[in-house]
Amino acid sequence: MKIRFLWALGFAVVSAAFAADMLRPPGLRPLEASSHALVGARVVTSPGKELEKGTIILREGRIVAVGAGIDVPKDARMHDMTGTTIYAGFIDAHVSFAKSTRNAPEEGGPPVEEGVLTSGAVAPFLGVNSAAGGPGAKSVVTPERRMTREHAPSQKSLDALRHEGFTAANVVPDTGVIRGVSTFVSLASGDPDVAIIRPDTFQHVSIDAPRSGSDEDEDTKPRAYPASLMGVIAVVRQTFIDARHQAADHAHYAKHAKDRPRPAQDTSLEALLPAAEKKMPVLFEPASVLMVERAAQLAREFDLQPALLACGQEWRRPELARAAKAPFIVPVDFPEVAKLPEDDDWLAVPFETLRAWDHAPSNAALLRREGVEIALTTHGLAKRSSFRTNARLAIARGLSADDALAALTTVPAKLCGVGDQLGTIEVGKLAHLTVVEKGGYFDKDARVREVWIDGRQFQAPIKDDKKDAKDKKDDEYEAKKSEKKVLREKLTAAPAQQDRGPLLSPKSVLIKNATIWTCGPKGLIENASLLITNGKITHVGSFKVELSADTLVIDIPGIHITPGLIDCHSHSMIMGGVNEGTLPSTAMVRVEDVVNSESETIHQQLAGGLTTTNLLHGSANPIGGQNCVIKLRDGAAPEDLKFKGAPGGIKFALGENVKQSGWGDAFKSRFPQSRMGVPAFHTNRFTAAQQYMAEIEKQKRDGGPPVRRDLELETIAEIIRGERLVHCHSYRQDEILAFLRVMEGFKVRVGTLQHILEGYKVADEIAQHGAGASAFSDWWAYKLEVYDAIPHAGSIMRERGVLVSFNSDSSDHARRLNLEAAKAVKYGGTSEEEALKFVTLNPAKQLRIDKSVGSLEVGKDGDFVIWSGHPLSTSSICLQTWIEGKQYFEREAAKRRADSRHTERLALIAKAKKIATGSSTSSPSDDKAKARFFFRTLEERQNHLCVDCCMERSLSWEN
Amino acid sequence: MGKLITFLLLALTTAHADTLLLRGAVVHTVANGTLDTGDVLIRDGRIAAVAERIDEKADRVLELKGLHLYPGLVSPSTDLGLVEIPALRAAVDDKETGEFTPEVESWNAVNPDSELIPVARANGITHFAPTPQGKFITGSSGMMAARGWTIEDMLVRRHTAMHLVWPGHSLKVPGPNAPADAKSLDEQARERKEKVREIERFLADAEAWAKRDAKSPKVPAWEAMQPVLRGEVPLIIHANGQREIRAALTWSEAHPKLRIVLLGGRDAWMHAEELARRKIAVIYTEVYALPSRSTDSYDVQFSAPSILHKAGVTVAISEGLERASSSGQRNLPYIAAQAAAFGLPVDAALASITLIPAQIHGLGDQLGSIEAGKDASLFAATGDILDIRSQVKHLWISGVEQSLESRHTRLAERYRSRPKAK
Repeated sequence: MKIRFLWALGFAVVSAAFAADMLRPPGLRPLEASSHALVGARVVTSPGKELEKGTIILREGRIVAVGAGIDVPKDARMHDMTGTTIYAGFIDAHVSFAKSTRNAPEEGGPPVEEGVLTSGAVAPFLGVNSAAGGPGAKSVVTPERRMTREHAPSQKSLDALRHEGFTAANVVPDTGVIRGVSTFVSLASGDPDVAIIRPDTFQHVSIDAPRSGSDEDEDTKPRAYPASLMGVIAVVRQTFIDARHQAADHAHYAKHAKDRPRPAQDTSLEALLPAAEKKMPVLFEPASVLMVERAAQLAREFDLQPALLACGQEWRRPELARAAKAPFIVPVDFPEVAKLPEDDDWLAVPFETLRAWDHAPSNAALLRREGVEIALTTHGLAKRSSFRTNARLAIARGLSADDALAALTTVPAKLCGVGDQLGTIEVGKLAHLTVVEKGGYFDKDARVREVWIDGRQFQAPIKDDKKDAKDKKDDEYEAKKSEKKVLREKLTAAPAQQDRGPLLSPKSVLIKNATIWTCGPKGLIENASLLITNGKITHVGSFKVELSADTLVIDIPGIHITPGLIDCHSHSMIMGGVNEGTLPSTAMVRVEDVVNSESETIHQQLAGGLTTTNLLHGSANPIGGQNCVIKLRDGAAPEDLKFKGAPGGIKFALGENVKQSGWGDAFKSRFPQSRMGVPAFHTNRFTAAQQYMAEIEKQKRDGGPPVRRDLELETIAEIIRGERLVHCHSYRQDEILAFLRVMEGFKVRVGTLQHILEGYKVADEIAQHGAGASAFSDWWAYKLEVYDAIPHAGSIMRERGVLVSFNSDSSDHARRLNLEAAKAVKYGGTSEEEALKFVTLNPAKQLRIDKSVGSLEVGKDGDFVIWSGHPLSTSSICLQTWIEGKQYFEREAAKRRADSRHTERLALIAKAKKIATGSSTSSPSDDKAKARFFFRTLEERQNHLCVDCCMERSLSWEN
Repeated sequence: MGKLITFLLLALTTAHADTLLLRGAVVHTVANGTLDTGDVLIRDGRIAAVAERIDEKADRVLELKGLHLYPGLVSPSTDLGLVEIPALRAAVDDKETGEFTPEVESWNAVNPDSELIPVARANGITHFAPTPQGKFITGSSGMMAARGWTIEDMLVRRHTAMHLVWPGHSLKVPGPNAPADAKSLDEQARERKEKVREIERFLADAEAWAKRDAKSPKVPAWEAMQPVLRGEVPLIIHANGQREIRAALTWSEAHPKLRIVLLGGRDAWMHAEELARRKIAVIYTEVYALPSRSTDSYDVQFSAPSILHKAGVTVAISEGLERASSSGQRNLPYIAAQAAAFGLPVDAALASITLIPAQIHGLGDQLGSIEAGKDASLFAATGDILDIRSQVKHLWISGVEQSLESRHTRLAERYRSRPKAK
């Protein structure tokens, strides 16, 4: 069987074998010539280098000579190549031969084991006996998958690539998170034994928000871990840790086999080791430019050798792509705009969708401008035959033809580790050539005439000229088509960051004649001034200083100044899921990995005077994920939004959400299902963390087998050591007390109790414990556990000695926290100055950032808001918002910004309407390029947010 | 508890008083400007006189110096009374199944003992129109007072408006998760037109039924539609998006007899001129909702009532039904306040939660302003009612002073008096 197969297909590469093997049995066509002379072509030996009339001699699958006027060996078959251009064979560094491609629902690896709860490489949890994900859940961690063992492409798919001029490709696994290892193949044959040039190219890691099969499933069926983007990142981290741990554990075992238990042997982790030890590059496939940054960060954290698959959204933040310092494989699967039934439908197309459509063809050129090495790929195209057309569009948008050629030859060759064999036309390299007629590959009428792969000729199908002529439409159609093309070649959309960033950045700013609510020891000062220099407050009150010439002076009659408002509970700007709601403890996931700096909500919240916000994981589990405190420095990338020096925290939750009472009938098996189980669960995990800490101590002290680093327990250990603040979503008085007592048992002082609706019933106990209370002003009755919530709660808790803040938990309420504070005056009788502290100084204290924000005091950050009048009055509006002495919001500028965005949108709609092709009658699933037009990118998939709640699954606020 | 009894006694005694004179308050009449100091005389549950000074002798005189008198706030569309706790299916009665159920009457499901009603009342809300939700023609609402032993006691008038939830015009665009049998855009566009045609057919059938033989069998659904077709009762069309609003406007143009009111109206500002020209009032519910387009100004929905008002549209303000329309009803004046801060004149903002909603429900002659002859539903507050910090001190419905106690004040009082924990 094996031998016959070789005879039939595999002669080219094994041609160096014994002559006897080369004689084929009678009845089969004798082997074709193995020596060829290609004469008279324009030969582009490498990008930018060419021979006007060159000769290339091929023998036994290799290039043996190349140059002008070379003697042709007698035994070589002559090929007159006059009128053609010959390039080194093109390489596609990212090819999937499976039917599913990117953005398709995941199909997944082997089933998750019953009882293991997780499809990632995280050990099963104590005290949990359900199999989340249900029967049939597939593992997303499959580093052991090797495409070299699965390579079996159809002739049709090989033809499609060869017709575009490709001679070699890197075949990739296309499902899961840690997906497996790609293999580099020649496109001459489908037989893996002869096709594979390099068996193992990259380990592939996808960083995308997991999707369940359909939108409906997402709400009604339990899903396996990870179900969120932050969960995906945690899985990647833990798996790399585990791979190294296993190696270290085995190394230890080799020396101490008799003194210790036999270590586990996980073949998955073993397969990841070459990547973890930098012996194999890792190809990251981020679904957002923000995840490009995260991929680079993962590569740094684990010392990996990274390469990236461009997500197509790099235009949003080109600087993050540059900073990744890694080569990119760039698809040309540009979205195509679809015809919409009615004019009004265009107004419903999101602005960002239009922008993404318009920017897409510029992506390759933009990455080059950022100094990034790029390889082009057919990946993502519905039909590979549109590759050349789209590559030409990329060139029209500014990619140089030489760069484009390098992106098909030298760059992918080097990237895939075959630079010594492919990529240029040089003596000794594999005989891979791409032959183009009617000009260069990127010229309008050019056509790939043939490719040579491993010394064999693959000719393009004979073209039926008569049929061509018949297909040609009338002149009017052609003119229209070319007009559309010209229009598409021009970029209309503005750069993504054009209207973001600080509006003013003066060295100093002085506000005069204002009523200043300092929220500090100076209290409320009338007719006062505030001076900020280099971002810090230098004077407040009545003072006389000499002003430097570059001081900006603000003197608007009647204004009030308050510190920038602070929100102690927000889920805005979190990408790819607010909850990792699968496991009951997800202490290993981090909101800091998924901060969405591109959200419009930043601007909207600045417009309400907000300057600092605490981004929290949702409340779907008793132990949620790690939080992230940010400043709303609109326009800054995620890392630059972060509040430097804010201590880490974590979200915990109690009550209805964690016992899944509102989740539907499919959610009845995860522990806990009652309020009895919640403290039991917390006790369990904290006990485990104590034991984990003890193990590490013991290992440090006495040696012994290495301890596996466990990201979940490590985080809980930080809480026990007092290094991480607990922010606990809590409602009923019984659960509040039970929780405080459990925490006291571990000598943990809770940072804040969030929502804390019945906190007023146990205010003394909260005060004694020392937890802060971060409450709603007046929300109640949206579910049973808030039926006793009262708007007096904040004031009562304050009266009994609790540090109280009011939070938004909503992208809407975050726009008016000052008015939420006014409700403490109305219902609870708290004084105005103290009420304002509920949204300034008090949340700053709760987040342990009051050294730099929360009040207007000398030495603190220049974060302040200018109000048209009294900040607690509904008739006042926010005029300006400043952070660190820079103006980020100003009302008139905001109006101009909206006007210019609106104008840009109309221009984009006009352009899209002109270009829109086809009818809207085609069924949506039959045209992938159009589907990509409507595809919402990670940054745009806004979470459905709700007050309380944090329950992303819910479309309304009820849960 | 003691306080509760006092209030009940107070309620009983005033109920028997023939006349009550409210003296010396700032009187915001809404209909006829503001009296800096004025008196209001109440007789048999009605306002007998409003003037700077009323010398007529009254059974009882209440000095209100320093306080502000406002007409009771009227909530034009709410879940109040229908939904106690949205997360509990057992406590939700605001939605029916079916697409054409005009015979559904919202007031039949209002719980007079809802804990939510006294909470709303304590912030000045004296009347509300519970609204049936669902698909297409959902039923009618009536106007209810925020007090009463029974629903009949609470009812001011049945059938004050019929509700039509306009079919959504959004298209399910092809995306990575589109099922294989997803419909094409054109097909979906055709379907949305067909839905409008269904509404059209329903109305035509209802109209035909009016001309029936007297002996023909009774059909409650057709019967319920008759006052709407005659233009006696408004048809409140629920629509927020630009496409839905335009489609509703186009459709209704062919039905000049119908009294159309638009509810929701997120993008109504785009059609301000047409709404003004056709005298279509808007119950705007989207002040506190996030802008739907990132090219809109951050304040587009704060400013929308002002844009509509300036164009000449009659604007009422309400909270969106899909939000905290029951438990959050007490914030009604602050939603109007936000619109005022962004350009809606204060008078118009006040009218948008008093007289205009009363007029929309056909009760402009009874509710919504402090005028002689009207129902004596009004309240006295410590200041501007649009300002959160103001406190309601007294509130009367039909001349009877109401308790301002609620579940909230009782719990606050109880736990404020909790002895300090050891």
